[in-house]
Amino acid sequence: MKIIDLIKMGLRNLSRRKARTALTVLGVVIGTISIVAMVSIGLGMSESFEKQYMQNGEMTIIRIEQYGAIIDDKGEWIGSKDQVLDDNLVNMLRGIEHIKAIAPMIETQVTLKSGKYTSWAQVRAIGKDAFSEFGFPELTGGSYPSAENNKNFVFSYEMLHNNFYYSNGRKYETKEIDPAVDKVELTFPAYNYNRNPRKKEFVLQIKDYAAMGETENWEHNYYCYMDIDYFKEIYRKYAATLTVEDRKKALAAIERYSIVYVNVDNIKNVTAVQDAIKELGYQTYSDMQYLEPLQKTSNMLQLVLGCIGGVAMFVSAINIANTMVMSIYERTREIGIMKVLGCMVKDVRKLFLFEAAMIGLIGSIIGVALSFLASMAINKYGGPIFAALMQGSGVYDVGEAKFSIIPWWLPIVASALGIAVGVLSGYLPARRATKISAIEAMKANA
Amino acid sequence: MEATERKKIIEVKNLKKTYIMGQEKIKAVEDVSFEIYDGEFCCLLGTSGSGKSTLLNLMAGIEKATSGSIIIRGKDVVRMNESQLAKFRQTSEGFVFQSYNLIGTMTAVENVELPLVFKRVGKKKRRQMAEDMLKKVGLGERMKHKPSEMSGGQQQRVGIARAFVSKPRIIFADEPTGNLDTRTTKEVMELISEMARANKQTIVMVTHDNSLANYADRIIRISDGKVLSIEETGKNKESDKKEGQITNEDNRQ
Repeated sequence: MKIIDLIKMGLRNLSRRKARTALTVLGVVIGTISIVAMVSIGLGMSESFEKQYMQNGEMTIIRIEQYGAIIDDKGEWIGSKDQVLDDNLVNMLRGIEHIKAIAPMIETQVTLKSGKYTSWAQVRAIGKDAFSEFGFPELTGGSYPSAENNKNFVFSYEMLHNNFYYSNGRKYETKEIDPAVDKVELTFPAYNYNRNPRKKEFVLQIKDYAAMGETENWEHNYYCYMDIDYFKEIYRKYAATLTVEDRKKALAAIERYSIVYVNVDNIKNVTAVQDAIKELGYQTYSDMQYLEPLQKTSNMLQLVLGCIGGVAMFVSAINIANTMVMSIYERTREIGIMKVLGCMVKDVRKLFLFEAAMIGLIGSIIGVALSFLASMAINKYGGPIFAALMQGSGVYDVGEAKFSIIPWWLPIVASALGIAVGVLSGYLPARRATKISAIEAMKANA
Repeated sequence: MEATERKKIIEVKNLKKTYIMGQEKIKAVEDVSFEIYDGEFCCLLGTSGSGKSTLLNLMAGIEKATSGSIIIRGKDVVRMNESQLAKFRQTSEGFVFQSYNLIGTMTAVENVELPLVFKRVGKKKRRQMAEDMLKKVGLGERMKHKPSEMSGGQQQRVGIARAFVSKPRIIFADEPTGNLDTRTTKEVMELISEMARANKQTIVMVTHDNSLANYADRIIRISDGKVLSIEETGKNKESDKKEGQITNEDNRQ
């Protein structure tokens, strides 16, 4: 038999019992929808977990902070301790495996002025190599500090767009600053240390700059950065303007780092590196440590949801097998006739397998199409349900999260699964059909 | 003398078929040997339960013989596997059944096409062949009708068209007129024998009806699974024209 004739005959047979075929197809449709919807919800949830945490920073970055939180086994904060972050620690960290980069950082507050507009800026002074090693965002202007020029002041997105303000008591206005055009002056706040009244206030004209674009990482959106060596240079100049006793205090303050950043070579090693740092006696933070239990929960959830879909698919497989067995009973005589007329046994088998596979294919195509609708509906109306489900998981901003994601491979996998279910459940009935003797046709009773 | 000149197309040798029904062994065909010649109309005549239908099924390869051999066109049907048999049926055998055995969901022309579909004949060609064949059996006007829309006689004509369409050398007919009235029986029998004679095809017909045996060249009487007698009706010898054709064919081959 030619393939085209086989297909035509198969389709004709399916359309012969339209209601039965439709019901069997419906079974596959339901099975496919459950699998696709369940998997898509699982994927959607795990992606929204990741996305939420991406907003906090890079996944491979570990932070060691001056005030290390003490966290118990359940992840609850129970206290904090003062940690000494100095060059000694940096040297110890260099001995730990899988660390790609270490960036000690001094955090301080400065005042920025541009004409009549003022802004407070939280400045982080960090080694200039860190700008390439710690996933800093693309610049919209200027360049990051480098070996050639380390004097660049790195403006955050928020700083340039929303933070400069002017207020004279009656009105309040903000200004967008373009460091390429607007002059910006940097001063250190007067309330920390007392200035030597005989010295002039330290003022730095910012000439070289870098402007960071907006990113999902909120740290980069709010913090401004400088090269640590250049920072120390201007800080010493600033310290020189202070009274003698405050000068010592001010210089001592930058001996210790505020935060030490550690970049791990691979997301898989983050936990191991964190444990190693903990052994040195330091508390650490990383987004991984929050994400990991969430990922486990979400994997578990995906598995459970997938199983629910699997059960629906299994039922539809039984359904197909039942339909095929019924169909063979009905067509026993016809199969006998076909054999007497010279139909090859393998063609009989192919015919039934084709019919079963078609049920699977049609069902899964309709199922996939409906799944897209279901997915849209879940994303649109499922918010409150998932907000309740994800409560306490640390995921906020549920409103924007997608609960159901259908990646490009899911429809393909679902259709393949539909066909596979059809073929598998059609296999035994098809084998049975081939065993039907041509004698059935010869029996005289019509 | 003439009999030896004729070419054997089917040779049945020591054929046995035993059914096992529970504890009992039923011998349906008991050590039967006979020959059927190329181009003849041979009738297997016997009462119901005589084993004649079993014999036909064995010859057609539909049932497996217990022992013995059936050599058709030089090949032993008994020793063929399923796919060899299917190929053999495609090329050499046609079937006409008592209950017509048309496929109810297909039109007349589609039913006639079916053997050609299995034979992988192209769509246009097989439609043409099927239409020609239906015209030959006088159903040129009813090609698009389904079996349920036709009378018994018409259905059997479709059955005959289907049996002849792939031009098989042998046509097996099992009580082809069993469900038809006398007038239609006559028409159908004449159609079968005319068509077979026109193409020098061999007919093996099973019947219990003595009157039908008159259409045959030879009658093999079967009783209790054994060959009772083999009679030449003399029809073959009466026709000079036919004998000439046979000789021609023999010379050619």
